[in-house]
Amino acid sequence: MTSPPDNDARKVTSLRELPQSLEPPHDLWPRIEAQLTDIPDAAAGRATPARAGAMRARWLAVAAMLACVATGVWIGRSFLPGAPGSTAGPVSANNQVVPDLRTTAFDAAYVSDPRYAQQRAALVRTLQAKLAALPPPARAKVEASLATIEKAKADLEQALGRDPSNALLQELLVNTYQDEMRVLSDVHEASDPGRGI
Amino acid sequence: MADAQAEDTRIDWEGTLVQRARAGDKRAFERLYREYAGRVYGLCLRMTRDPQMAEDCTQDTFINAWRALGKFETRSSLATWLHRIAVNVSLAKRRKSGPVEPLPEEEGAATKWTLETPIEVHEIESAIGALPDGARDALVLHALYGYSHGEAAQMLGIAEGTCKAQLHRARNLLRERLGVEVS
Repeated sequence: MTSPPDNDARKVTSLRELPQSLEPPHDLWPRIEAQLTDIPDAAAGRATPARAGAMRARWLAVAAMLACVATGVWIGRSFLPGAPGSTAGPVSANNQVVPDLRTTAFDAAYVSDPRYAQQRAALVRTLQAKLAALPPPARAKVEASLATIEKAKADLEQALGRDPSNALLQELLVNTYQDEMRVLSDVHEASDPGRGI
Repeated sequence: MADAQAEDTRIDWEGTLVQRARAGDKRAFERLYREYAGRVYGLCLRMTRDPQMAEDCTQDTFINAWRALGKFETRSSLATWLHRIAVNVSLAKRRKSGPVEPLPEEEGAATKWTLETPIEVHEIESAIGALPDGARDALVLHALYGYSHGEAAQMLGIAEGTCKAQLHRARNLLRERLGVEVS
């Protein structure tokens, strides 16, 4: 191994003065370009069959994760003293849980990165408009998924309120936040013209 | 004022190139590569300590970026986004070549990374290159590239406390190897 600038005799008084940019010894672009040629339609993210398949796989992954969350909540509750009351969110006329995507105080404890909060807030702000742009079956699917995620978050937060050090519940909650972000991002992308869920 | 305008122009120019690259324009993507190859390679080399591996990581970073351009938020920094990809690629390549040592979390002191007396660049780079992987990763991202503890920790997939502990360890090792106070 050679340290980056091998023969740099310049003296510095802070690590911040070290060069951030170091040129590769030779041009890597031809190798990169050759590989880009083998990735048709990748950059634009257009709704190719492969991409549509990946999206379907992601929704399946969401469903599988939610099943895990439900199991985790059940396990967490089973080992906690004092059975909780109902933790469901508001229920609509058709008996479906309505997603309430406002950030709670608990969110801040687990997701402290302000960029996460900003990105999530931006996605939530445009959610209704993006949902309106989706075909009704896809919209129903997304709404049901978000409602389930919200319910899972509420259940996990309530369980963590009684057992804050429960590592399993913490991990499930973080996973649920990540999954919510994935769903919101997918909705954002899928409502763009030429794309689909 | 002039700097802010120059930065705005740069971001507009960059945003245009990103849009064109998203639409499949490889020439636009090449211009982005020319702009950022040095920063990406510099980070990869410091993380891997192996010029050949750093080249492979740089190449994979840009290929992964091309694949994921559709997901890039144009309001974000392209440099930071590329760095995140580069860190992931470098960590993955390095994992294949050996295990990474864990470190318990502890609070590290705030450091400005200034040196008691001026030191030649090659001597510092050599001392950084000799640090253990975890300490070097945290040091490079935080002290050289200016990422916060939280950002560096997130990029490396470790807790912030662990990142601070690695920085604390890096500072002590640098102090020993360079023979000067790092404050």
